[in-house]
Amino acid sequence: MSSQPIERRVSYIGDRLRGSQCTICGKEYFRGKNYCGVCGRKSFGKMKDIDFFYEQGTLEISTVVKQPTNRFVKMGSYTYGIVAFHEGKTRVPGRLTDTLIDCEQQDITCFDGKTVVPRFRRRYTVGESDVIPTVSLAFSVEDGYYPHQKYEIHKPKKRYENPGIVGYGVYTSKFRIKEGKMERSVPFIDEDAVTAAVEAGKMALIHSGVNNELIGKIYVGSESNPYAVNPIASKVAQVLKLGKEEKTNFVQSIDAVDTEFACKAATSMFKDASALVCYPKSNIPFAMAIGADNSQSAPRNAIGGELDHFVGFGSAAFIFGMQDIIAEVEGWYSCTSDTPDFWRRDMQAYPRHGGRFTGKPAYFKHVQKACKTLMEQLNLTVKDVDYFVPHQPNPSFPIRVAKQLGFNEEQYLPGIKVTKFGNTYSGAAPIGLAAVLDVAKPDQRIVLTSYGSGAGSDAYSFLTTKQISEKRNRQKFTVNHQIENEHLEYVDYHTYRRLKQGL
Amino acid sequence: MDKSLKDGIAKNTIPLSEDVEFMKSQSPAILGVGRTKFGEHYEKDPESLIDEAGLQALDSAGVTRKDLDACYLSDYFLQVTNKIGLEEGFFSELLELHVPMEKTRSFSSALLNACHAIQAGKYDIVLVGGMEKMTDRWDKIRDDLMLLEDPWSYYAGCTPEANHDLLLKGYINKHKIKGEQLKKLYNALAQISVKNHQNATKNPFAQYTSPITIDTVTKARKSACKSLGLFDFAPVSDGASALILANPKMAKKCSNIPIYVLGSGSATDYITFPARENRTGFTANTLAMGDALNQSKIEVKDIQLAELYDQSTLLEMLSLEDLGFCEKGKAWLDIYKSYEDYKGFYEIGGKKLFVNLNGGLKADGNPLGATGGAQIFEIVKQLRGEADNRQIELNGEYPKLGLVSELEGFGTKAYIHILGRNTD
Repeated sequence: MSSQPIERRVSYIGDRLRGSQCTICGKEYFRGKNYCGVCGRKSFGKMKDIDFFYEQGTLEISTVVKQPTNRFVKMGSYTYGIVAFHEGKTRVPGRLTDTLIDCEQQDITCFDGKTVVPRFRRRYTVGESDVIPTVSLAFSVEDGYYPHQKYEIHKPKKRYENPGIVGYGVYTSKFRIKEGKMERSVPFIDEDAVTAAVEAGKMALIHSGVNNELIGKIYVGSESNPYAVNPIASKVAQVLKLGKEEKTNFVQSIDAVDTEFACKAATSMFKDASALVCYPKSNIPFAMAIGADNSQSAPRNAIGGELDHFVGFGSAAFIFGMQDIIAEVEGWYSCTSDTPDFWRRDMQAYPRHGGRFTGKPAYFKHVQKACKTLMEQLNLTVKDVDYFVPHQPNPSFPIRVAKQLGFNEEQYLPGIKVTKFGNTYSGAAPIGLAAVLDVAKPDQRIVLTSYGSGAGSDAYSFLTTKQISEKRNRQKFTVNHQIENEHLEYVDYHTYRRLKQGL
Repeated sequence: MDKSLKDGIAKNTIPLSEDVEFMKSQSPAILGVGRTKFGEHYEKDPESLIDEAGLQALDSAGVTRKDLDACYLSDYFLQVTNKIGLEEGFFSELLELHVPMEKTRSFSSALLNACHAIQAGKYDIVLVGGMEKMTDRWDKIRDDLMLLEDPWSYYAGCTPEANHDLLLKGYINKHKIKGEQLKKLYNALAQISVKNHQNATKNPFAQYTSPITIDTVTKARKSACKSLGLFDFAPVSDGASALILANPKMAKKCSNIPIYVLGSGSATDYITFPARENRTGFTANTLAMGDALNQSKIEVKDIQLAELYDQSTLLEMLSLEDLGFCEKGKAWLDIYKSYEDYKGFYEIGGKKLFVNLNGGLKADGNPLGATGGAQIFEIVKQLRGEADNRQIELNGEYPKLGLVSELEGFGTKAYIHILGRNTD
């Protein structure tokens, strides 16, 4: 039993770690306060809203919880303690996330004094039909995988004629399962498509330097939203404070919407975002599109269990606009047909797919058609393209389709990351695009062709600008950082299923 | 700083009228006490527990239900465990009385309110009763306790035990206790548990009446891989306790030895433990103690009998410091030294201090709303010389003073009561 009004209020404060600061004496509070205990009445109207979402703290003191309360039982053992921000001006309770603790381990103190970063996660287990509570009183140790990064707003310098990508971010967890040559990212137990979407959005804000208030629309494409009805986008908007915050009504001035079309739910929205930001009357300078999935699969040996060899976890977010763009949208083409090769019926936990039917008449037909048509429309030959990024549901399809289209390894390999993260569904092609943007030079052409079962493909051509290099050093959490990282933790099949199942 | 009404007026300099002075000298008196056995009472509902304790208290005071002017009840969370929200109605029906009744969260809080009413001259005889029925919700009790104790810490994954761990670690870090000293500290904490279980063997009302050894405590710590284990923490209990409190004029007519509430104090602290300034002890405990000592004009050194709130062995130790019995950072050493040649009491600075003669919360049990009543029950029995084989003597006579310390939550509220008998 949980109370939606209570959960919502706790989330409003806890998801962002909102607090107050007295502008007279500087005293800080976790949670909003209208006055300061030191300055008294004269502080009325002089309290400033602050939050600790982009801050780093210190885990001052901690203990290992081995017998959690009922709602935390699924987390297993974890470290709990007190986190201090701003040299102890504010202290909050905190749980260390992203750490797997061996039950036999002694009462360890090794995390005391470590720098920690707040993470937006699921709060605890609730009933299957309850609203999912979240909180950012979960922290990860700044161990080299997830770095602390400040969010700095940069004033736009240049306006372009055509819309394009202003900034982007990718998020995958630090856990991996490795089977043969295939590595796949595995969510920690308190993660899901919602938390991944927020993380990617956060990274995109950090990279773009765009003022969060100026984002007028947020699209989140996913096929693993933990809700059948209730958007991910509204959560992302509130946690990342997208659009202007109207404090009197507790609303954000932004349009938020979730989209669904299997794995092309996010890429489909790239053109909508691009069109929106250049429509003069929209008054929307920036729009964000996120593809996020905790890709679902039945366990091995069950019907549909073949997917269990390929599914990953991750998300990518792109901010579109007309100012300070790093890659201009040169053109697009999409095609669609009623081809149900992969589907999930309402009330079903796992998707099913059509075996070999998912190949020729589905994936290959649509990807080839979309890519070829776009290139024809833009009068491009294979040689005019520097990078080709196809949808990547498994290691073989993307390479085969790239070869069929005439691309060589230098063109397609940088954008194929399925063997590192697995198939991240709506995040798959977008993560590939991000990987290419991480390495592309100015004035290069990238062709992206996504695929969504059901079925359809979106093809886009992007032309990078000079600003791509300028912005690169703003992001530490690059795709490569998430692939080649000594802090990755590898888990066995049993742990992978448990973590993926979530709270 | 806002201008306060109190600014510029030093404490206690307001001239008290003679009437007020007179009232202050009139300490309310406990005429009788009663309690149930603490433990797992699956067959009994909360009403039958408080019925049993209340009747005992009435009998022992020699008064009848019709003499009662009011009732002050306490339970921490019957609303949660038993979905009982109008305790007063149940009690009215039990007693077939229509007198004013109020409900608080802890026994000490009920007693404090009752004292205030009697001191104000509103009532002559009142019943103070407390009850708890924790086993009726044993499967969810830790979630309930933690959520009530500190909701934001609960949201972050805290457990009732984890807060004790942090308190202990904070204490160890602050006082830089390590190596052999640390071993002695852990040993002292284990001894507290052993001592309380030993004391409870003589208490027929206690939840656990079998003795344990140091081994029992350390094995539990080892199996949990924690510095505090199962035998460091008070159990989950059901039970009830009650007392009859009266105007001192009434007390003089009573055939029993009246026990006077010489001083009471209470204080509060932030619900969010990490937000508190003091995270190595309980400030509320220190403040409540100061208040109670001030009222009773008694000094700490005069107190040689105390029932402390040992939610964990650690809290018995820290209470000794917070209440001023031991120097800060030294309680563990005083305890350790006392156990080197244990004679049934702590020896602090050459003085005897008897702590938790009923077995404490650890062994007597901890049915939250009733716990304070059991602590007071023990002090009353000791002061009256009615504690049977638990009875202690100081300089060849029954003790004259006793202290009761009770907490609500994790040091969020603290209550101190100093009880004494007439020595004329």
